[in-house]
Amino acid sequence: MRSIRVFLLVALLSTITLVNFLAALHGYRESMAAAQQLLDRQLAATAALLEKLPLQQVQSELPADGEVALQLWGEDGQSLLKSANTPGRPMVPLEGGYRETNFGNYRWRVYTHFSPESGRWIQVAERADLRFQLAERVVLESILPTLLALPLAALLIWLVIGRGLSSLRELANALREKRAEDLEPLQVSEPPQELQPVIRSTNALLERLGASFERERRFSADAAHELRTPISAIQVHLHNLERELQDAGLADRSGSLGKLRLSVTRMVDLVEQMLTLFRTNPEHYPARLEPLDLQQLAREVIAERYELFSARQQSISLQGTAVGIRGDVFALTVMIGNLLSNAGKYTPERGEILVTTALSDSRGYIQVEDSGPGIPAQERSKIFERFYRVGGDCHASQAEGSGLGLSIVAHIARLHRAEIQLSDSRFDTGLCVRILFPASSGTVLPGEEHA
Amino acid sequence: MLLNTVIIILREVLEAALLISILLAMSRRLRVDPRWLPLSLLLGGAVAVLVGTQMRGISELLDGVGQEVFDAFLQLAIYVLLLCVAVLMIRSYYSQNTVPGGIAAAMGAAVTLAVIREGSEIYLFLSAFSADPDLRPGVLSGAFIGAGIGFSIGALFYYFLLALPRRTTLAVACVLMTLVAAGMCIQAAQLLIQADWLPAQSSLWDTGNWLPEGSVSGQLLYALVGYEASPSPVEVGVYFSAALLMVALLFWARYRAEAGGRKGERDRAASTP
Repeated sequence: MRSIRVFLLVALLSTITLVNFLAALHGYRESMAAAQQLLDRQLAATAALLEKLPLQQVQSELPADGEVALQLWGEDGQSLLKSANTPGRPMVPLEGGYRETNFGNYRWRVYTHFSPESGRWIQVAERADLRFQLAERVVLESILPTLLALPLAALLIWLVIGRGLSSLRELANALREKRAEDLEPLQVSEPPQELQPVIRSTNALLERLGASFERERRFSADAAHELRTPISAIQVHLHNLERELQDAGLADRSGSLGKLRLSVTRMVDLVEQMLTLFRTNPEHYPARLEPLDLQQLAREVIAERYELFSARQQSISLQGTAVGIRGDVFALTVMIGNLLSNAGKYTPERGEILVTTALSDSRGYIQVEDSGPGIPAQERSKIFERFYRVGGDCHASQAEGSGLGLSIVAHIARLHRAEIQLSDSRFDTGLCVRILFPASSGTVLPGEEHA
Repeated sequence: MLLNTVIIILREVLEAALLISILLAMSRRLRVDPRWLPLSLLLGGAVAVLVGTQMRGISELLDGVGQEVFDAFLQLAIYVLLLCVAVLMIRSYYSQNTVPGGIAAAMGAAVTLAVIREGSEIYLFLSAFSADPDLRPGVLSGAFIGAGIGFSIGALFYYFLLALPRRTTLAVACVLMTLVAAGMCIQAAQLLIQADWLPAQSSLWDTGNWLPEGSVSGQLLYALVGYEASPSPVEVGVYFSAALLMVALLFWARYRAEAGGRKGERDRAASTP
C-alpha cells in the first residue's frame, strides 16, 4: 500500500539532499580555492617580512620545523640563508610567483619573490598537504551543519506532512467510525479546500442512500400495514363462509377451507413479522435502553409460549444465572420470542430446547439450543438474510415460517451492539444460537442485581 | 579528500541506486511483492563486508589479479541476471501468467550481487582512509555527501519511473536496463583489461574534456549507461554486443509472449460454441 506521507517524505528529503549537497560540494570547491588564496597571501606576507630582515642578524642555516621552508639567494646565485629542510639548490627556478615542487618526501607550495632594494631572491614554502588539510578543516566546519541538519530536516518534514495530512486522517476516521446505519452528513472541522469536493460528494451520496432506504422502509411498512385490512376482511369472510356451509349442511370434503385458513394464518404471521422487522430496524427504532435481567425476561417469554411447546410435547428448560444488561424490553421480548419460535418449529415432537443465560468474560449472553436438524456451517452466514429459509420452502422439518424471524433477531442484536454466534447444540443434532451482549452495555453482575 | 571521496562513493552508490530504482519500479508495476529488496540489501551488505575484509586474500589469487577478475565476474553475473529479469518482465507483462516468484528471485539476486560489488568497494575505501584521524572528517563528510546524492537521485528516479504511464514504464525500464546491463559489461571489460585478460588498446576517442568522468554528471552517465570518456575498441565492441544481445532477447520474449497470447485467444474462441 502506498503511503502519501512516505512518498512526500522521501521525495522532499531526496530533493533537499540533492540540492543541498550539490550546493555544499560547489561551496566546498569555491571555499577551498579561496582558502588556498588566503594561504598564498600569507606566504607572500612572510616573504615581505624576510625582505625587511637585516641579513647580518641571521645565520646562514636555520633549524627547520618541517612545515615551513625558506631560502634567500643573492643576485649572483649565492645562498645567503636557508632552512635545514631545504635542498642546496633553489627549491624552484628563481622566477617570481607561486609554484609547486617535491623535496624531502613532501609536496611543497613555494612563493618566489625578488627584492630589488636588497638584490635578493626570497623563497618561502609550505607543505601542500598540511595547507590542504588546514583549508579542508576550515571549510568542513562550514559544510558540516548542512549535513547534520539533514536528520532534523527529515523529522520536521515528517511532522509537517503529518500536520498537512491531518484533515485527511480526520476524514478517514470520521468514515471509519460511522456506524453502518448512520447516514448523517460527515462532519469534518474546517476541511481544507482540497477535501471539500470529497466531503461534498460523500455527503450527497449519503443523502441519496438515506432517501432510498427511507423509500424502501416506507414502502414495505405501508404495504404490510395496508395488507392488514384486507386480510382481516378475508379472515371474517372465511369465518362467515365456514358458518354458512355448516348451516347448509355442506361439509368441507376436500379440506380446501382448512388449507385456506392455514394460508391466511401464515399470511397474517408474515405481515406481522414484516411490520416487526421494519419497526425494529436499528436505523429508526427508538430504543429505550434500561437495566433488565435477561433471565427474568427469558422466563416470561417461555411462560407466554409454554403451550406451544407442550402441544408438541417438547421439553423446554431454562438454566444459568441472572444476567443484568441494558436493553430495550420490547425488542428483546420479540428477539427471545423469535429464537424460541424458531427452535420450537425445527425441533421434532418430544424434542428438547434449552435456554441458558450466563456471563462469558464479563459479557452477558442468552443462548437457545434445540435438538432439531441444525444448520450446515456453510449456510449459517445466510440465515439472517430476509426471506431466506434453509433448504428453501421444502425444509425437512415441514415447518411453516416467513423467513424473517432471524432477520429480526439480527436487527435487535445490532440495536444492542450484540454479537450473534452460531454453533452446534449440545444435543446429538441441532443449532445453538448465542446472543452475546457487549460488556459496555452496562452489564450488571448477578450478585449486584439481587443485592 | 572530501571531493575524491564524494566521487568514489557517488560512483558506487549511484550504480546500485539506479539499478534498484529501475527494478523496484518494475516490481511495483508488475505487482511483484517488493520484499526481495530488504532481503537482498541485508544479504548483499553482509556479504560485501565479508568480501571487503577478505579482499587482500582475493586480490592475491590468479597471480595478483584476483580482485579484478572477481569483480568482472560479479558484473557479468549481474548482466546475465538482468537478461533474465528483462525476459521475465516482458513475459509477465504480456501473458500475466508467469510466477512472480521468479522475477522477484532474479531481481533480488541481481541487487544482492550489485550491493556486494559496490558495497565491498565502499568498505575497502572507507576502512582504508577513515583510520587516519587527519583524513577522517573529510572522508566521512565526503562519504555522506556522495551517498546522499546517490540515494537522492535513485529515489527521485524511482518516482519518475512510477509517474510514467504503465506501458511507457515498461519501455523506459527495458531501455534503461539494456544500457545499465551493457554498462556492467563495459566495466567487466575494463577490469579484465586491467587484469591483462583482455588486450589493452589505444582509445577510439576521448570526450574527457567535454564531459569529465569525475564530474557528477559524468558519474551519473557512468552509472546509467556505462559512460567511458576514452574507450578502447574492445570496450566499445563488448558494450554494443551486450546491448544488442539484450535487445534481441527482449524482442524475442515479446514476440513469444504475443504469439502465446494470440494462441490462447484462438483456443478460447475455438472452444466457445
